[in-house]
Amino acid sequence: MRIVAAKKILKANDQVAAKNRDLLSGAGVCCVNVLGSPGSGKTTFIEALLKHFGGRIRAAVIEGDIAGTIDAERIEALGVPALQINTEGACHLDAPMVAAALRELDLNGVQLLFIENVGNLVCPASFDLGEHLRIVVLSVSEGDDKAVKYPAVFQSAQAVCITKTDLSPYIDFNLSRIMADVRRLNPGASCFQVAALRGEGVPAVAEWLAEHLHTGRSDFGHSGQK
Amino acid sequence: MHELAIAEAVIEQVQRELHRAGQRGRVHRVELSIGRLSGVNCDSLRFAFDLLAPGTIVEGATLHINQPTATCVCRACGKRTPIEELVVSCPACNSEQISIEGGRDLLLQSVDVEGPCESSPPRKF
Repeated sequence: MRIVAAKKILKANDQVAAKNRDLLSGAGVCCVNVLGSPGSGKTTFIEALLKHFGGRIRAAVIEGDIAGTIDAERIEALGVPALQINTEGACHLDAPMVAAALRELDLNGVQLLFIENVGNLVCPASFDLGEHLRIVVLSVSEGDDKAVKYPAVFQSAQAVCITKTDLSPYIDFNLSRIMADVRRLNPGASCFQVAALRGEGVPAVAEWLAEHLHTGRSDFGHSGQK
Repeated sequence: MHELAIAEAVIEQVQRELHRAGQRGRVHRVELSIGRLSGVNCDSLRFAFDLLAPGTIVEGATLHINQPTATCVCRACGKRTPIEELVVSCPACNSEQISIEGGRDLLLQSVDVEGPCESSPPRKF
């Protein structure tokens, strides 16, 4: 006999993600999933935002890496609570990993939770973690063709941040090309240009995030599978 | 690695479907729908499925994968064109005023399982 299922293969992940999102929304926490290649500047980008917010917005960070605690240590050095997930080989975070991290993390008073995904432009796109917003970070040194080459991740994001723009004079990176590609793939996405180490472009991203924080606890926008 | 996680999720989902339908027979076919723009490589998924299947309920089952196309919707000429890979302009009129719909599904479509009527032939009177 044939059992007709017609169900999402990642339904189990999506169900846990929905629970994560409910938990976070209920606690008044806006959760942001940060995706990008290894070395695209995800941690530096998050650090720059945390420095910009200072104590004005209470934040926490979940760091996802295959191994090591370097990133969590960098965040803690800023006085921001951080929790490291080691995926031990897996190339992406999934919702159950985040659910486990949320059980460990004290969310009391936290308004903004960053989840830095494992460095990868492919797999993390498929896995909803329960975030409210998804930001894709792409550095100019990776090339202006990446949106077309890795469309799924760019289509799933609410914002795309081009980082390391201070390197642009030394690199053949056509900003208008990638912007046009992103607009085609994902007309609703907000686009930012950032040189995080210099703080350039950081206030604009911070303002965008703050707007989402203030639009109401139950309506942060939502991410996940489009 | 990605496809391994997907294959794992497929097997878990098949288990749940069988449980839900109250079936315990051998699974002989699993049908998936993997959109052309889903970012999942079907060859890798087959490889991962074959790697994980032994010792599970899908051991020996054949994997059938449909790959639905996406649709390029053009705001200039109004045409809807099925596409197998991502395009940056309308295949009909070359306009860049396009949006891409669908092609990203990851679905377990159906599971074929040996039911009681197949394992024991109908009784003759």
